[in-house]
Amino acid sequence: MTAGGGDRSARIERLLAAARRIADPEDSVGRRARSVLPSSTGLSPAGVEYALVQCLETHPSPGELRALHASVTPVLRAHVLLSANVFVAAHRAIALALSSAAEVEVRASRREPEMAMLLHQASDGVFRLVEELAPLPSDHVWAYGHDATLRTLRGDLPAGVVLHAHGDGMGVAVLRAPTHCHGSHLAATARALAHDVVAFDQRGCLSPRLAIVVGDVDAARDFARALARELASLEETVPRGAMSDDELASQIWYRETLRFVAELFPAGRGAVTLDVAGGVLAVPPGGRIIHLIRAEDPAPVLERLRPVIAAVGVGGPPEVWEAVRAQAPRARVSAIGMMQRPKLDGPVDRRPDPAGEVL
Amino acid sequence: MDPESAALHARVRAFADGVAPAHDGFDRLALDIAEFQRQRSPGFARLVDSRGSLLDRVDDIPAVTADVFRVARVATYPPEADCVRFVTSGTTATPGTHPMRTTETYRHLALRAGEAALVSAWSGPRVVVALAPVPTVPLTSSLGFMMRVFMEAWDGRALARDPGGVPFDPLAPERWLASSAGVDINGLRRAAMVASERQEPLLVLATAFALVGLLDALAGAKLPAPKRTVVMVTGGFKGRSREVAPHELRVALAAAFRVPGEQIVGEYGMTELSSQLYEGTLPGGRLAGPAGLFMPPPWLRVTPVDPVTLHPVARGAPGIARFVDLGNVDSAVAVLTEDLVREHDGLVELVGRRRGATPRGCSLAFESLVAVDLGGAP
Repeated sequence: MTAGGGDRSARIERLLAAARRIADPEDSVGRRARSVLPSSTGLSPAGVEYALVQCLETHPSPGELRALHASVTPVLRAHVLLSANVFVAAHRAIALALSSAAEVEVRASRREPEMAMLLHQASDGVFRLVEELAPLPSDHVWAYGHDATLRTLRGDLPAGVVLHAHGDGMGVAVLRAPTHCHGSHLAATARALAHDVVAFDQRGCLSPRLAIVVGDVDAARDFARALARELASLEETVPRGAMSDDELASQIWYRETLRFVAELFPAGRGAVTLDVAGGVLAVPPGGRIIHLIRAEDPAPVLERLRPVIAAVGVGGPPEVWEAVRAQAPRARVSAIGMMQRPKLDGPVDRRPDPAGEVL
Repeated sequence: MDPESAALHARVRAFADGVAPAHDGFDRLALDIAEFQRQRSPGFARLVDSRGSLLDRVDDIPAVTADVFRVARVATYPPEADCVRFVTSGTTATPGTHPMRTTETYRHLALRAGEAALVSAWSGPRVVVALAPVPTVPLTSSLGFMMRVFMEAWDGRALARDPGGVPFDPLAPERWLASSAGVDINGLRRAAMVASERQEPLLVLATAFALVGLLDALAGAKLPAPKRTVVMVTGGFKGRSREVAPHELRVALAAAFRVPGEQIVGEYGMTELSSQLYEGTLPGGRLAGPAGLFMPPPWLRVTPVDPVTLHPVARGAPGIARFVDLGNVDSAVAVLTEDLVREHDGLVELVGRRRGATPRGCSLAFESLVAVDLGGAP
């Protein structure tokens, strides 16, 4: 096998076949996935099902695969350090490594090792699972986690390693809510955004924590109410998963804080908070809580958030899309409702330098 | 000034002085202040409405989180009437602000509490210095303000063996003995010698990190402090010095000042409050309690609450601190912090900070909460 050679398509196909088996509830691997992932991810069984069916990339187009291959540099060896927050992200992370190298070692998250094990099993070992990564100079390391974890990792890796570090980030939605908006259109946009929020219980870096609502106060309130309704409704079919005491405490703290400074709309076990004055940028702690900021122009808000925005969901006319692309040029931009279904066309987070960082 | 606010301030001061009518007790005052705040603060009114609180029990007064002070104006009056805006000194990106339209009650309560904990053992004047930077103008540090109040009230003379004819200057640099360059050890020695020569007590007001800086600079040397020296220790280390356990710090300071460890007195306060808690260790003082436990004054109630239910925890269990502070007439009478405390028969043990929910993977923490506009309406 040659480094990143012509058989990389075959490697990716083996991985995709594994992902398809995991997504299939009738397959033995799919059944096992549904058995073990709720406890390792903390998601409800319906939350796991939702992620497997809606978010796991199993059928990329030829164009997407070409983009995936073009996004990496062929190397001899690649290593992957996975995080636990979005379990299906293991698939893309390993795909990137397999696209770049024939020899791939993966260290699964200690908290959520199951998805990597399932992919390993169902792909007949197209990559190696290891307890510790041992990269050599010039090897590439794809690492996912908190910025603090990645800072530590930088100090631990040998000089000469090329690090692709994917750290903290979040999703933001931008939408126009015109006055006298047609009820069904409003509900449809709210429903689409609710789906983006619900996936992975908002633990991912694509998960929208904030939404900028362009429109007047009444329109923003209408949208907040509609979104709260949709979140509550969706919770009936995709219940929120388990939360730690610390997570619950952070959610209570956020709610109590935002009750004072904004409007709060209960949404099942989550909430929608709305700042009609557009003065408070608050990042909710996850667990299906989203903060809406009303603004006449989304650009200043996007500019302030630019370093942390990994993804933007857009709902509105072309000028809204243009404003988003201008203010968040490195974010992954999609329609609202598609934020958690990124194409398998390269790294999910496009903020880091694609060439990596030579240590 | 708003006559209703002025009346409440006067009632709080009377309560602190022990001259309030019997019917005007803690609960009555707290509820009246809460109702006053509900009428004037839309944010607080939203909190009250969301809880369905009738404001008829102190435990039902919704507490304003300390983070609200970071993202909104917490006040019952417009910004034009601010006489001071105290700003938090934490390391978070967005500081909190506690505006006040009068500092009279703050000053009154600080002196009442400080007298009991720091001064009451020995009568008469004393030399008061601070291991802190000269306060800025305009004043933004509530701690700096309190230190200055103590200097004015308990010293009030120039820092010289014979201060006759030299006017008192509360901002004189020889009284503020710490800066970004470190602790002014020679200045502290000089203050100690002045107190000794006058045969007066010495009161040193200091942050914990400044005291660690002092100990490091002394490198084991002793200070010529009078026997009646009291060191008030406040605050944490905030990454500005090495961290030293409270007991270890007490022992080291007692050795450096050559005084019993009981004369090292801990203080706990925060910018969002108008009142302070103290250890009651000073022998002969009006407060009596063991080291490590802080005593709230009568106008401050501290309740450990569960961070999820916000209900009081079982006796002796840790919870986040819910303060009902009668001094906060024009801001938030009930404040919720993320400090973990235990209650021991009315005394408060600081346990640490609530562990924030560990953000998973690439999600952001709530610490990222930021504010754009602190000057708007609440």
